[in-house]
Amino acid sequence: MSVVDEFDPHALAEQDFLDEVHSFQFWFDSVEGYLSDRPYGRLETTVDEPIDDARRERLITTLCNYSVGETAALEGAAGLVQLAPDRNSKIFMATQVADEARHLEVFLHRLRELGVADPEAEIERRAQPALVDFKGALLDLVAEGDWQAAVFAQNVVLETMEYTVFRLHAANADPVTRDVLAGVISDERRHAGFGENDLGRSLAADPSGRARLREIRTGLDAMVVGVFEAALADIGAPAGERSQLAHEYLDTIERLGLT
Amino acid sequence: MTQFLAQYSIQRWMEMCPQGYLEDTVYGHEPNEHEPAVILDDDDEREAAIRTTVGLVVGERCALAASSGLINAAPDYPSKRFLATQTLDEARHVEVFTQRLFDLGVTADNLESTIDRYANPNLVKFAEVLLEKVAAGDFLAGVVGQNIVLEGLAFSVFEMLEAGNREFNPKFAHTLSGTIADERRHVGFGENRIGSLIAQHPEKKAEIERMQQEMTYYMLAVFADSFRGDDNKPKSAPEPTASAEWHGTNLSTASPEEMEAVLANTVLGEFKTRLARVGIEYQTPRVPA
Repeated sequence: MSVVDEFDPHALAEQDFLDEVHSFQFWFDSVEGYLSDRPYGRLETTVDEPIDDARRERLITTLCNYSVGETAALEGAAGLVQLAPDRNSKIFMATQVADEARHLEVFLHRLRELGVADPEAEIERRAQPALVDFKGALLDLVAEGDWQAAVFAQNVVLETMEYTVFRLHAANADPVTRDVLAGVISDERRHAGFGENDLGRSLAADPSGRARLREIRTGLDAMVVGVFEAALADIGAPAGERSQLAHEYLDTIERLGLT
Repeated sequence: MTQFLAQYSIQRWMEMCPQGYLEDTVYGHEPNEHEPAVILDDDDEREAAIRTTVGLVVGERCALAASSGLINAAPDYPSKRFLATQTLDEARHVEVFTQRLFDLGVTADNLESTIDRYANPNLVKFAEVLLEKVAAGDFLAGVVGQNIVLEGLAFSVFEMLEAGNREFNPKFAHTLSGTIADERRHVGFGENRIGSLIAQHPEKKAEIERMQQEMTYYMLAVFADSFRGDDNKPKSAPEPTASAEWHGTNLSTASPEEMEAVLANTVLGEFKTRLARVGIEYQTPRVPA
């Protein structure tokens, strides 16, 4: 049965909608469509193409940093399971935990395919300082038990960054990396949707939260800019596309009234 | 370690669960299955089913909190990834057993009050002992408490319930079958991962054995509460069912005392075997009053 194909959850009343889209069952039906028969996120029919040394080096750095981001999201989401204020959010976060762990696994697998013998050591060596700082800031918010701020940092800021960078990368990637990214992008869209929806509802109920989140956003901005610049340079994004991507990120922030 | 942990990857989980034994199920059972009328139409039977299911929800909520809480304490990526799959499994169990409460007539508005009303206080204490270790970031004690003690308990209870419901309530039995398959994997990870860590940290053994003793005490108290007292006597003489045989006891005709004994003996036997495999000596708790 495919819930996704058979009906539009947006036609449901608000509580029924949340019961539906935050459930394991919905996750199960969603991922079945784009992950079935794709070992480690890759279609078995996709053929790996030769990559020259310089491009391979850049790709390894990129994938190492994607792994840092996914580890941050995995640990952040795991902590958020404990903080979730209701049953639906708890179950959604549990599905996100599994998604993030899968992303980490497919990137580590791709690193090994590219000849990296010890991906964990390579990740440590190539991690961007701005991304490591961002991970620390996110996990601090989780450790403080601040659900709203942690959802903002993780499901809005981090997920939007990843969604934006992965999409651009997928457009120019080798065929196998493109397959891997396609599944990840579908998950990130769902996670970012949860973040916007959850924060949108809580800020509508209590608009005073905006000032606090603006402050948190200001604290994260330097790290976000650093992460974006390094990531887009690694994937070789032209300057024109970089400013367009910055706009996409800012649009999300603006939708929540946090500019 | 790396080779064994490869068996617990997300990829393997995807192949086994969503693309394996959970395919084409809805809330863990076949789409056309329903609770039997004999439960829904009888207030006593329905209340007993709600009481049993609340116990399952409480246990699974504890497992969800513990497995997600242990991810950040895990010392390596493969363990983190396995615990991520376990987090999702436990969330699914919370969901399917919560759905059973809805199927039994509990409304969403009354869910938490129903759980508060029927949750066994000794089961809550059992969970608190484990979650204290998780909150302290104690990976070793947390995995023994979660993947050997709690999961070992769940495994045997689910098996007993599944055997008792196979003919009487196939919907519930099918829901339980999927959770049993998950619990088997969780127990396997606990046994395989913890043995080497205990060998590296023998100084942790005494503390872990104390935790096991305390958790076992509360578990036996839950069994005593569940099978003793007039509320737990069968309301009518049951029909013997051959498929309800479990560890030499016919669950369709066993007295509550016989059921308590077979469950306690099975769980304790499994504990002793599994703890010995990871180098922990089973500690007998004092007997609950």
